[in-house]
Amino acid sequence: MLTTIEQLLVTGIATGFLYGLVAIEYTLIWNACGLLNFAHAKTITLGAYIFAGTFLKMTGNLNIPSLLGAMLVMALFGALVATIIYIPLRNYARYIAIMATVMMGTAINEVCRLVWGVVPLSTQGFLIGTVKIGEVVVSVAYIYIIVIALLVNIALQIFMKKTKQGRAMTCVSQNKMAAALMGVKVERTMVLAVALSFAICGVIGCLSGPLYTVQQTMADMLGTKGFSAGVIGGFGSIPGAIVGGLILGIVENLSCLVVPSIYKDVVAFALLIIFLMVKPEGIIKANREHKVKEKKKKSAEEKV
Amino acid sequence: MNSTKKTKMGTLIAAAVALIAMLVLPFMGINNYIITLFCQAMLYSIIVYGLNFITGLTGQMNMGNAAVYGIGAYIYALLTTRAEMAPWFAMIFVALAGWFVGVILGYPSLRVKGVYLSLTTIAFNEIVRLVIQNMRFTNGVNGIRNIPSLGIFGFTFNTPMRTYYFFLAALVIFTLISIRFLKSKYGRVLVAIRDNIDAVESCGINLADIKVKAFVLSTVFGAIAGGMYASFMRYVAPNTFSTNLSISFVVMLILGGRGSVVGCLLGAFIITFAPEALRFLGDYYQFVYAVIVILAIIFNPNGLVSLGGRILAKIKRISVPAKRGANG
Repeated sequence: MLTTIEQLLVTGIATGFLYGLVAIEYTLIWNACGLLNFAHAKTITLGAYIFAGTFLKMTGNLNIPSLLGAMLVMALFGALVATIIYIPLRNYARYIAIMATVMMGTAINEVCRLVWGVVPLSTQGFLIGTVKIGEVVVSVAYIYIIVIALLVNIALQIFMKKTKQGRAMTCVSQNKMAAALMGVKVERTMVLAVALSFAICGVIGCLSGPLYTVQQTMADMLGTKGFSAGVIGGFGSIPGAIVGGLILGIVENLSCLVVPSIYKDVVAFALLIIFLMVKPEGIIKANREHKVKEKKKKSAEEKV
Repeated sequence: MNSTKKTKMGTLIAAAVALIAMLVLPFMGINNYIITLFCQAMLYSIIVYGLNFITGLTGQMNMGNAAVYGIGAYIYALLTTRAEMAPWFAMIFVALAGWFVGVILGYPSLRVKGVYLSLTTIAFNEIVRLVIQNMRFTNGVNGIRNIPSLGIFGFTFNTPMRTYYFFLAALVIFTLISIRFLKSKYGRVLVAIRDNIDAVESCGINLADIKVKAFVLSTVFGAIAGGMYASFMRYVAPNTFSTNLSISFVVMLILGGRGSVVGCLLGAFIITFAPEALRFLGDYYQFVYAVIVILAIIFNPNGLVSLGGRILAKIKRISVPAKRGANG
């Protein structure tokens, strides 16, 4: 029994990190453009296809160059999408723009089908095998997911805090008008954020390839659960994304002890609705106004 | 004053002509398949009317309408086959189910500002599909067969032709309800919410309450359309009610023109007949369709109904400076 729980916990943590990455990827676009990228599941699929269908075949199963290549291609694609779709649409009513991203997802899906065919692809020899830690059997793919998710997170934090471009991105997410007045090039920052987000989509695609096999519907569930993870952790907050992802992953895997595993996905979505009822702002609140108000309160108290 | 009366007469005449055209259409020698498509389009119009109240007017995106539609269809199917309830009596329960879903979904997600409604409704769509697919009670992926059709005074709507007229009557009723709602106090408040949410709040109007009411009305429309679908197809299966269908409903609304009844009708009919019209594209159909919709959204975000007005405005803009030139 205890081993089962440990086993489920490990699986939960690994899938949780994957959900967290998905949440980060769409939070970047949300913060920069104020748009939800409803095409993200299809974007992840595209990343997986580019990785497994093109780069792995081209390089003869060299993993790391293929991964980097897929990331680069996805980043370029992201920049293109940002200039063609996201920037023209940012001034429209939000749901119109969201709809455009949904249709972009359909278009990407069709491109995948037309270019790589309907037969699912396999990632030969990529992240296969298991490791035994004590009593628990851990798949290599899970270990890589955890390590790469942490690396991406650290890199992203360094980028956001230390570099000029990263700090510009934070400014744009807080207040576009003020950022523009301070000389931040808002549109260029948006392009960069979308490119970054699409590159992360590429990474997620590569990592989830061995778990779900590369096919058109591989990321549909992942994408929707990524949204749930974001809401649970705190919408628009990057640390919140990882926290929400971990909670979602662990809870849905542990729920297998109580309910039949077919209903695992139902548990994940029910968790989203419960969180909206009880704690709509999520675990880590992203709203900066809140922080400012607290600071003002503190300073007022100090004056008294 | 005179001009508004004129436009009113114009719309009435246009509506009458459209109605007569729809009445004689089945006698124009079209086959049963096309009539079935027309029935489908009329059902979708009813759902898009509902969607218009919440997505079209307040801008809160509902991406789970297919689930509501599915719940309506399944409740009708289960009550008439398992409980052997009279079809019209079952429809009452269908409407009640729509109301219930609206309350439990609308309350948590419309209370908070933001995009939460899209997220909860997407999740809801998946929950409903998964539960229907996996429960033995609903017969899993095989679906439910031999559902009795609705009827009136012993006259059952069991052929496409009969269903066509039944749906046409229903469509007229729902159109009238929809127009009435848009012109009512609630409709005006919803338009005001879209235009300036702070002004509405400062007038002392309970925002969440009105949004939830509009959402509930939309889910009731969706559920009733679902019940009608089950009565028409006489067979329901869980795969019909996917997120893709929900997305199609929103596309219908945006392509046709949000906020307007004519726009909803246009959108529903165009999207339903699009696969037929674009059949020559073969394998590339989905891709071309998606690209057309993206372009339509980027270049004409207010939908087809706004197209006429935009062209007129352009003509005016060209002619007005010319006049000034002549006077000056």
